[in-house]
Formats: sequence, C-alpha cells, structure tokens
Amino acid sequence: MTIPIDLFAAVILVALAIVIAAPLILLAFWIADVKRGVLW
Amino acid sequence: MNALSDAILDASVGWSVLAAFSVLWIFLGWFWGRRAEALDDYVLAGRRVGLALGTATAMATWVTSNTTMAAPQLALQMGIWGMLGYSLGAVGLLMFAPLAGRIRRLMPSGYTSGDFVRLRYGNTAWRIFLVISLCYSLGWLVSMGMAGGVLINALTGIPYHYGMTVILTICVGYTLLGGFRAVIGTDFIQAILILVGLAFIAVLAIRTVGIETIHSGLLTERPELLSLLLPAGIMFLFNNLLFGIGEIFHSNVWWSRAFAFRPGVGGRAYTFAGLLWAPIPIVAGFVALAVPALDLNVPAADMVGPMVAATILGTTGAVLVLVMVFSALSSSIDSLLAATSILVVEDIYRRHLKPGAGAAHLRRVTSCVIVGLGVLTWALCAPRITTLAELLYFTGAFVASTIWPIAAGLFVRRAGSVGAITGMVLGSAAGILSYFTIGFYVAALVGAAVSMACVLVAMWLAPGKFNWKDLREQELAQGATA
Repeated sequence: MTIPIDLFAAVILVALAIVIAAPLILLAFWIADVKRGVLW
Repeated sequence: MNALSDAILDASVGWSVLAAFSVLWIFLGWFWGRRAEALDDYVLAGRRVGLALGTATAMATWVTSNTTMAAPQLALQMGIWGMLGYSLGAVGLLMFAPLAGRIRRLMPSGYTSGDFVRLRYGNTAWRIFLVISLCYSLGWLVSMGMAGGVLINALTGIPYHYGMTVILTICVGYTLLGGFRAVIGTDFIQAILILVGLAFIAVLAIRTVGIETIHSGLLTERPELLSLLLPAGIMFLFNNLLFGIGEIFHSNVWWSRAFAFRPGVGGRAYTFAGLLWAPIPIVAGFVALAVPALDLNVPAADMVGPMVAATILGTTGAVLVLVMVFSALSSSIDSLLAATSILVVEDIYRRHLKPGAGAAHLRRVTSCVIVGLGVLTWALCAPRITTLAELLYFTGAFVASTIWPIAAGLFVRRAGSVGAITGMVLGSAAGILSYFTIGFYVAALVGAAVSMACVLVAMWLAPGKFNWKDLREQELAQGATA
C-alpha cells in the first residue's frame, strides 16, 4: 500500500508552507517583545 | 548513474563563508556578553528571556545537523515513515511545554536538571542521571562536531578535520565570550537562516524536479519508501517519538531554557517551537527522496542531504546550503556547550568538589569548562568512527529511560527514588540489549517501556509523599566569591 501522489504532495506542501511562514512569525514575536520591553 | 565525486563549492569559497560567519558570531558573542559578569547573567541570560528569543532558541537548538543530515538519510532508508517519524521529534518540545512552566514555578532559583533529580529523588538517582545526561550530551556534541566536518568536506572539499575544528572553535569562542545570552541571540539569527535556506532548497527542488517526478521516480526504483506499511518505518516512528521526548525531558539543554525564560513564557515558547519545528524534517527528508529521480549515486548514506541539494542548486545555492548547515550546527553546539558546562559546574564541581563555591567563582569555572568540553569533543571527533544516525540512536535507550522518572517526578507526589533508580537502570539496560539484538529503531521504545513499568510498579508498591517545597533551594549570592 503506497502513499498516493495527492496525499504525498499535500503533506510536502503543508510542511513547506509552515517552514516559509515560520521566519515571519518569529520576526512578529520579536517586534512584539521589543515594543513591550520584554525581549530579554 | 551520476557519481558526485567532487565538492560542489571551491574550497576558497567555503573558507570565505566560514570566515564571514565566524567573525559575525564571535562579534555578537562578545557584544551580547560584555556585561554578563554575574553567574545568572552568564549561564541563564538573567532569567528574563522573552517569547521571541525563547521560541527561536528552542526551535533552532532542536534543528541539529542530524535534522539536516540524518533526516534525509532516514527518508532514504525508511521512506515516508522516516520523514514523519523524525518530524514526531516535535512532540518532545510540545510535551515539554507544560513541564517548562512547572519547572520555573517549582524551582525559581534552579540551574540544572540535575538539581531537580537530586532534590526530588536523592543522591543515588541523581548520580545515575548525571551519567546518562553527560554521556548523552557528549554523544550529541560529538555527533555534531563530526557532522560539521563531514558536511563542510562534502560541500567545499575542506578536509574533515579542518572543518570540524573550525566549527567547534567558533562555537566555543562565542559561547565563552557571551555565555547563554550569546547562545540565544545567535540562535534567533540562525533559526531565520535555517528556515529561509530550507524553504529555498525545497522550492527549487519542486521547481527543478517536481513532486510528481519525485513520486514516480520512487514508485519505479524504490517503491518501499512510499509504503504506508513499512514495518521498520512504523517502528522507527514510535521509537523516534519516545527518543525525542526522552532527549528533551532529561537534558539540561531544555531545562536551562526553562530556568532562563521569563515566568509564563516557557509553555508558549516550547509550544510554538514544536509547531514550527515539526515540518522541518519533512521538508529536509523530501529533498532526499529526489535521489531516484535525479539518478544519483550516493556513496555514503549520511551525505545524501548535501549531495542532493548541491546537485539541484549548483554553486550559488550550495553557498546557501553551507550557511544553513553551519547555522544548524552552531545553534545546537553552542546550546550544548552552555547547558553541559553548567551541568558539570553545578552538579559535579559545586556539589561534589567545592560545596562552598560562590557565584563569581562558579562563573569563572564555567568558562574553563566550556573550553574543556570543546577540547574533549574535538578529541572524540578526530577519529570518525560511526555514521551519524548510529551514534545518535545509540543514546536513545538511555534518554528514554528518564522520561517517566522526570515526568512523574514533576507531577506525582507518589513517585519515589526506587522507581526512578530502577527505571533508569533497567530501562537503559533493556534498551541497549534491544539495540544490539533487534535494531537501533527499537532501543528508545524498549527503554521507555521498561522504565515506565518500573516507575508505575514502584509507585504502587512503595509510594512516596514528596513535598514540592523541598525543590526550592536557597539562591546563590551572585556577588559572592569562594
């Protein structure tokens, strides 16, 4: 029983979307922490 | 078949990239650490780390060279389950989230995971735990030092020993200069570099080769890698899940972050870190699955990741790969150096050798231990003795045996020293036995199962009645000297 192409592609593309969004999320956290004065 | 016998980058380009990033990390280490005179500032960044740096440091530290090299290797050996199994390493970060909050509340002045085991279970369990934790830390450090040498060699042709020496020297340098503040500050930048680099490689792989071509190439040449019923792969999935949990629950790398985060930050930081980390091995593994479609000859399994990336991306892209992997290596090695050094200083030096030592004295000793750890790691990396994944999974049995003693110790009053000691000893022994008799992919599974049985049976037969207030030790006077 092999994984079908559609499911295979969906798994890869969802994972890739999170990897692309992650740096933006980290930068948003950074800006929020700096504004609140709680970076470190 | 195309044999990729030559490095994709010229050695001079490789040296230039390494030099540029080395200067950057060293400068940042000095800059961020220039006022870290007090022990808490140096080893725990003043215990005031916020959500952004907290999330980034947990995520970047968990993205190791093994994520960038062993995940592709495992994808090529175990297919879809190899990728997903590695991705389940994120569960460890997610499950540690509630523990991090509780650790910060129960031990506001704590320094190490060893402090917890000593206060919770007594000296015998503590010393067994220290052996496990220090062996694991050293194993992780060595696996990454080796990965540095292998990867830099594969990408640039720089000899293994030179690459390995450079990566270790740089990490020791900036950790020594800036302490934990340098570690988490550089981790933020390294996390961004890793994520951007990986996304770039994956997008180019999809554009160059195509998901459909990769899928059909696998179906033709390696259909077992797409099988949803590959037994070793499924076993690996559960094994890796427990291995990841064991690594995070016991290791001072993660405990020191729990102590360093602001109150209320730990739970959220570890949750976000887990969610952002989970897709990384899937994307890294996917790149390796392009091997059949690219008709590549892979001479060594642990080189598959950089080989595929270099084949797809060419010279310019290979520079990006080098930067990304250098960041992955640095973010983990610096964390291990910082966390292991305070473990050695607090649990061995202070508790065994010099109980009266003050904070200023311990601050100086920590610097010496960071250098000593770097030298020891270099000496163990010099002979390249085993493949990266084998070295990594050898420690699985040991760390998985600590899951139940740690988790039960944090939340259940009835958990006592008998269960913790037998759990760690018998769990490790059973895990190692299964490692050699069955395979690396079951060691953590067996270790955790035996440990769980020991802890639960001991709670039932000889229940303890622990007072949580006993975890609060008097704070070290930060200005005091020995």
